Amino acid sequence: MTKTVLEVKNLWVEYPARRGVVQAVRGVSFDLCQGETLAFIGESGSGKTTLGLALVRLLPKSARVRQGNILFYQNGRVQDVLALSQEDLRQFRWRDCAMVFQGAQNSFNPVLRVESQFYDTARAHGMTGTAHVKQRAIDLLRMVQLDPNRVFRSFPHELSGGMRQRVLIALGLLLQPQVIILDEPTTALDILTQRSIIEVLRKLKKELDFSLIFISHDLSLAAELADRVATVYAGTIVEIGGVYDIFERARHPYTQALTHSVPTVTGDLRDLTSIPGSPPDLIVLPPGCAFHPRCPFATQRCKEQEPPLEPVGEGQFAACWNWREAMNKT
Amino acid sequence: MATQAISTSLAPQKRTSLKVYFWRVANNYVLRRVIKALATIFVVITVTFFIIRLMPSNPVDIFIQEQMALYNSSYQEARDRAAALFAIDLTAPVTQQYLDYMGNLLRGDLGKSYRSQGAGVADIIKQFLPWTLFSVGTALFISFTLGVALGMVMAYRRETPLDYVLSTFASLVSSIPNYLIAIIIIVTFGSQLRILNIAQMRGSISPGVQPGFTLKFIGDVLYHAALPIFVYVLTTIGSWMLAMKSSTVATLEEDYVTVARARGLKDSRIMTSYVGRNAALPLFTQLAISIGFVVGGSVLIETIFVYQGIGQQLLKAINQRDYPVMQGIFLIITVAVVFANLLADLLYGRLDPRIRVGSEETK
Ligand SMILES: Nc1ncnc2c1ncn2[C@@H]1O[C@H](COP(=O)(O)OP(=O)(O)O)[C@@H](O)[C@H]1O
Ligand SMILES: [Mg+2]
Repeated sequence: MTKTVLEVKNLWVEYPARRGVVQAVRGVSFDLCQGETLAFIGESGSGKTTLGLALVRLLPKSARVRQGNILFYQNGRVQDVLALSQEDLRQFRWRDCAMVFQGAQNSFNPVLRVESQFYDTARAHGMTGTAHVKQRAIDLLRMVQLDPNRVFRSFPHELSGGMRQRVLIALGLLLQPQVIILDEPTTALDILTQRSIIEVLRKLKKELDFSLIFISHDLSLAAELADRVATVYAGTIVEIGGVYDIFERARHPYTQALTHSVPTVTGDLRDLTSIPGSPPDLIVLPPGCAFHPRCPFATQRCKEQEPPLEPVGEGQFAACWNWREAMNKT
Repeated sequence: MATQAISTSLAPQKRTSLKVYFWRVANNYVLRRVIKALATIFVVITVTFFIIRLMPSNPVDIFIQEQMALYNSSYQEARDRAAALFAIDLTAPVTQQYLDYMGNLLRGDLGKSYRSQGAGVADIIKQFLPWTLFSVGTALFISFTLGVALGMVMAYRRETPLDYVLSTFASLVSSIPNYLIAIIIIVTFGSQLRILNIAQMRGSISPGVQPGFTLKFIGDVLYHAALPIFVYVLTTIGSWMLAMKSSTVATLEEDYVTVARARGLKDSRIMTSYVGRNAALPLFTQLAISIGFVVGGSVLIETIFVYQGIGQQLLKAINQRDYPVMQGIFLIITVAVVFANLLADLLYGRLDPRIRVGSEETK
């Protein structure tokens, strides 16, 4: 039986705004097992970044975690992330859970060399002795297919976007965290660079033992990396399951619409059906199921009651009143 | 020597390499900047030379008026004395005067004052400039370091009462002219409350105090410079605070600061090396330019507090239309400002690795 390393229970995050309260994360629950890759996919603005930030408590000051639990399990020890003291939280970040942000192009301090930023990180977590840190950094840089001799002493601006992204991934692995969160790690990179980053991640996953949360709006990338996939709509998980099930046997109409608009794992190209309608307004959500205004299977019930996540297959859950109808239609 | 022997046998190749070398020198960033600086200085000297002479009245007339008013002498008497005193020919064509001046300048001769018993302009500058450098320089140092520190505090504590208080203070003091603050200090603390003995604080040192590395001398120098320094700091600190605050607020939004937090770095480390260092970068150009203006000091402040610096000398020279002294002081100010700018440019490349590329020769 695989160990659970992260457990999120009924997490709610909101941003008070002038027009009202933005409900960015609404009752998200999931588990993450050791060594597993879980992908969160959904349109931009659906709350994926907010969820990631909440896991390491790096939400903007204006954000409020209204409810929920985030539990990290490590060596038989449980850490309640939302209850950590400032100092414990500082230690927890990057050592137990590293988060690589969306748009990593500016993730490095422009006035410090790459090596200083590695040493800084190590020192902050009590790793002294530069020789040891340097050796590990160089090993990691090699693993992400960079030339350590060139990169380690460089300034960030001397590296290309793809190189910076790889350096950041290497830096993320420096302290051997149990969980790494990658938020859109390939956006803003060209297609070839995207591919090589994905290759690097697959290789790292094979060689090192860490769990990965992979956030993306790009399903094809998720398909290549993930063990399980969760589709997020309007701040909530609408379907979660094994990667094969999600791509081949999606039960939720939103997941179906998403998977229909990309080439599948097996490579056959389905016709691109874009999802009609516009993404929901997270301040004034539609009553009932948030997806109902765009859903081809919507019934009266969908407009009144919000559906819970329910089992729809082996380890697969969907939040839809009409998933059986949706299943038969495809 | 060996290279020479080889190069003679390879004469044509040497010529091309010389050409390459020439282009490399011509393209050299530092060299280009130095040439530009020298050109700027030349233009400013020329323009001030003519503008000074376009000012109404002239040294002789002013001397005559002074003599008539002071000694109640007749116009004729005053004229004769002036003619004896001014061994210069102000009737020579201005272009001739200009060429003479430039010629002397190239030989390093700044000329002599028309007044002050014909003292050399260089000697006057040597005597009065150090006091200004000391007072304004100290003030600039205090103002910059304190302003940057307070600006960061404001940014970190933005939207708190402390921020409101400091912001209000900063915009208030930076909008009041410095001479007004100087006068207010003299009137309230000097004349009304009688806390400060303004008369005693005049000058640069007290009579009878021997210069030297003694506590007494240093204390006395600080005592006399205290009021000018205080006024300079008070009137310049606000803009440093506000500039640093907005720069810090912008830097705090940068991705790398959030990432530094995600990396679990200590707040102190983030504040100094990640936020502070990047936020202060744009202020260094401003600082270098201010250093240039240190030389000019503040004409009004030195005059109000009767502080014997170069600014006071400049005002005196202007009132007497003492062309060589004016010209000399303007020259020093110009050189200081231009070279401070040059230094800022070159230094900025040292501080910000992203600029360093531009300052390197084209490879
Ligand atoms: N700092 C913030 N203040 C207010 N609203 C925010 C803030 N950050 C994100 N949001 C809102 O929260 C919602 C979710 O955003 P985000 O988590 O970035 O989504 P995603 O990563 O899926 O694109 C969006 O509607 C966005 O406008
Ligand atoms: Mg996002």
